Amino acid sequence: MSFLLGTTLLAIVTALACALPGAFVVLRRNSMLVEGIAHAVLPGIVVGFALTHDLNSPWLIFGAALAGLLVVLSNEWLIRTGLLIGDAPQGLVFPALFAGGVILLSLDLSHVHLHTEVILVGDLNLAAFRQLVVNDVSIGPRYLYVMLCVLAVNIAFIAALYPKLKITTFDPEFAATLGLRTQLLNTAFMFLVSVTVVAAFHAAGALLVISLLVVPAATAHLISHRLSVMLGLTAAFAVVGTLSGFWIAYVLNAATSAGIALFYGVMFVAVAFADKLATKLRRKRRVEVDKSAQGTKPAVSEAKQLDRSRSKNKPQVAE
Amino acid sequence: MMDPIEFFGNHTFRMVFLGTSVIGLVAGALGSFAYLRKQSLISDVVAHSALPGALLAFLAAVLVLEVNGRNMLGLLVGAIITGTLSALFANTIASRTKIRIDTAMAISLTMFFGGGMILLRIISQGQFPGKGGIDEYLFGNASVITIADLTTIIAVGALALILMVVFWKEFALRTFDPDFSTLLGFRARAIDTLMFTTIVIAIVIGVKAVGVVLMIAFVVTPPAAARQWTNTLPSMVALSGVFGAAGSAFGAYISVSLGSVPTGPVIVLTLFLIFLISLFAAPRRSIIATALRQARARETLRRELRSETVDK
Amino acid sequence: MTAAALACHTRNLSVAYRAEPVLHHVNFEVPVGSVMGVVGPNGSGKSTLIKAMLGLVTPLTGRSEFFGHPLDKVRQRIGYMSQSTSVDWDFPTTVSDLVTMGTYGELGWLRRPGRAERGRAIAALERTGIPDLANRQIGELSGGQRQRAFLARSLVQEPDLYFMDEPFQGIDAKSQQAMIEVLKDLSLQGKTIVIVHHHLATVRDYCTHVTLLNGSIVASGPSAEAFTKDNIRIAYEVREGAEAFLETAG
Repeated sequence: MSFLLGTTLLAIVTALACALPGAFVVLRRNSMLVEGIAHAVLPGIVVGFALTHDLNSPWLIFGAALAGLLVVLSNEWLIRTGLLIGDAPQGLVFPALFAGGVILLSLDLSHVHLHTEVILVGDLNLAAFRQLVVNDVSIGPRYLYVMLCVLAVNIAFIAALYPKLKITTFDPEFAATLGLRTQLLNTAFMFLVSVTVVAAFHAAGALLVISLLVVPAATAHLISHRLSVMLGLTAAFAVVGTLSGFWIAYVLNAATSAGIALFYGVMFVAVAFADKLATKLRRKRRVEVDKSAQGTKPAVSEAKQLDRSRSKNKPQVAE
Repeated sequence: MMDPIEFFGNHTFRMVFLGTSVIGLVAGALGSFAYLRKQSLISDVVAHSALPGALLAFLAAVLVLEVNGRNMLGLLVGAIITGTLSALFANTIASRTKIRIDTAMAISLTMFFGGGMILLRIISQGQFPGKGGIDEYLFGNASVITIADLTTIIAVGALALILMVVFWKEFALRTFDPDFSTLLGFRARAIDTLMFTTIVIAIVIGVKAVGVVLMIAFVVTPPAAARQWTNTLPSMVALSGVFGAAGSAFGAYISVSLGSVPTGPVIVLTLFLIFLISLFAAPRRSIIATALRQARARETLRRELRSETVDK
Repeated sequence: MTAAALACHTRNLSVAYRAEPVLHHVNFEVPVGSVMGVVGPNGSGKSTLIKAMLGLVTPLTGRSEFFGHPLDKVRQRIGYMSQSTSVDWDFPTTVSDLVTMGTYGELGWLRRPGRAERGRAIAALERTGIPDLANRQIGELSGGQRQRAFLARSLVQEPDLYFMDEPFQGIDAKSQQAMIEVLKDLSLQGKTIVIVHHHLATVRDYCTHVTLLNGSIVASGPSAEAFTKDNIRIAYEVREGAEAFLETAG
């Protein structure tokens, strides 16, 4: 497999692996929590590397994901204390963990030589560098297969728990009354998000992995009214956005994830505008219909008409 | 630990100490308003989005004005512009579409920061005078603060604090009860613009010394700590400023003493420690105080219930 | 009725949240000196009506006038008591600070409240019966005390026209009694009060006028004329046979 093709495939698989759980992240209002997770995994990765000496080790991914989970659990705990308001609980722990990671790196105890830019935005080419060779034939970057595993796990998790994820996302209290272990499901899901974030760290870094998770799902959310449709559109936007962003980064010789993040943003704005325009046209048409109706009927009866239409499923009161 | 005389005798250390303290003071005080408006995380968006602004200012200074691209005032102006735009962008998404504010902030943050990282790469690959070390905007480098930088930080920070004092009544009312403030005839947009501009100023003055990535801790942590000790707005803002300044000063001192450790992250850990102490041990509002109060109340209740059974 | 005798009126008011219509062509007028109860089921747009008139929600169509003028000319004559759930009660501020906010409108930009304003706040707290709570943090107040503090804040405004959004929601009997005394007092002084209310049984006790709302005006006028069983039935979409409920409503 050529290097360019391998790298492109790695980018697409990484984007898909992030975007699918991202749909639930957006709906659960956990977007900025991903920002926290992505920062918090840094000390996990540094410590994990000191122990395993292999950035691709599954143990490292697992251990670093635990650090990400720490942000999720501490956020829930801080909210429960009732002593803090707003979104502050999400913003208190991760800077400290990230600062710890930066200090550990500077002390150079673990001999990880991660360049600042790699920490923040990743380096796809570096991740794609080591090829998997079978019978003297390169079958693409080794890391592509790691990301394929993560993607498979994510798809399997979502497929297996789809109804439960749906109901706990939509109405957690109702789900709890049904006897669903909402807390357990939430923790398991956020752990999976953490694993995905760590796995995507090489490709997207601590700062832009949140873009891969959140933006395709948000773009899809703008124009879909059903969860299944939203998931499909999320995947489509992820692929389109990744290919275009990849190309931008290639032309500008910039970090791939930066190109993707920028293009994702532009794509979101474009879809939002298109959707607004469509709504405006629809409303305009409706107002015109309204006006013609108003012209033919006296204003007084209109209020009553509205009442009638509001209570159309109920027996009418004699007037 | 380094001898204080030796510490303050050194010009660089003095600059680090004073610069970070002023940044901590201003960010802590104004962070209170972001905290009370329940929009602490917007500071993360603004800080990250300051990067493209600072870099564009660098390019403008080098290419158009042909002056030193790293001068503090240019950096601040650029950072204020893109920082404000990012906050506006996030709020516009949240108010105009069905996307909620947390996702809107994530979109705004990654778009601006992604653009910033592309600019950074373009600058580092091009031939620009004075581009060396420009990637320090990411994590900051307190040891490069010059006298001129410090003066600018103090002047701009003071401007933000003066705005806060002058418009105190309007900020307080709008933060506490936005509808009532509108009803009384205050233009919501005018107050919000002023308030967010001052908050943005408080954030971007830290870009050079602390960097865009960790600035959020300077804005979020001191108010969260100060809130546990105080019950009125003036005392909270003042204490938050004090926590920010003292935490920064202490963190700077430690990082310089330890030698090879970067200043920003050490300050972040110091501030986090202050927060933890406040959360657990503030006398009236804290985890320990609440637990004690509940224990006492339960004990009283138990005693009452016991005496009732005795009466019968 | 001539325009001069109206404390406020709105013509053809329509409001939508996003694309969902909430209020449809509402015509609403309140005579000077009346106590107008705005009544209707949940989601009927009661709060929205007040908010749209006061410019807190932007209407699609319609304009409102107060004492014959647009809102901006007569803001000083209008008081507003929002729902107590609309603010953060953990906010670091004291009860007297909260009440003093009522003077901010007349102070305008930049002028600060002084001793005179604080004195008026204390006086208002005395009228609602909670002067001893002046220096408490607002989070320490009970539901009823919060509403009394809010009422005190609108008293400080010294308006001629009061808008109150569910002032009796979730409060104790003692607070309710104290607040009703104040309302009666205001009414005697000739002030006009518009009060969003959801408890049908007590509407007649407080209100001289009633507006029944359900997305549009079902009926509006003096209590005896507007607040009839038939109108209530229409507004609440009550089925035949659910009469027991209506009996309690009088």
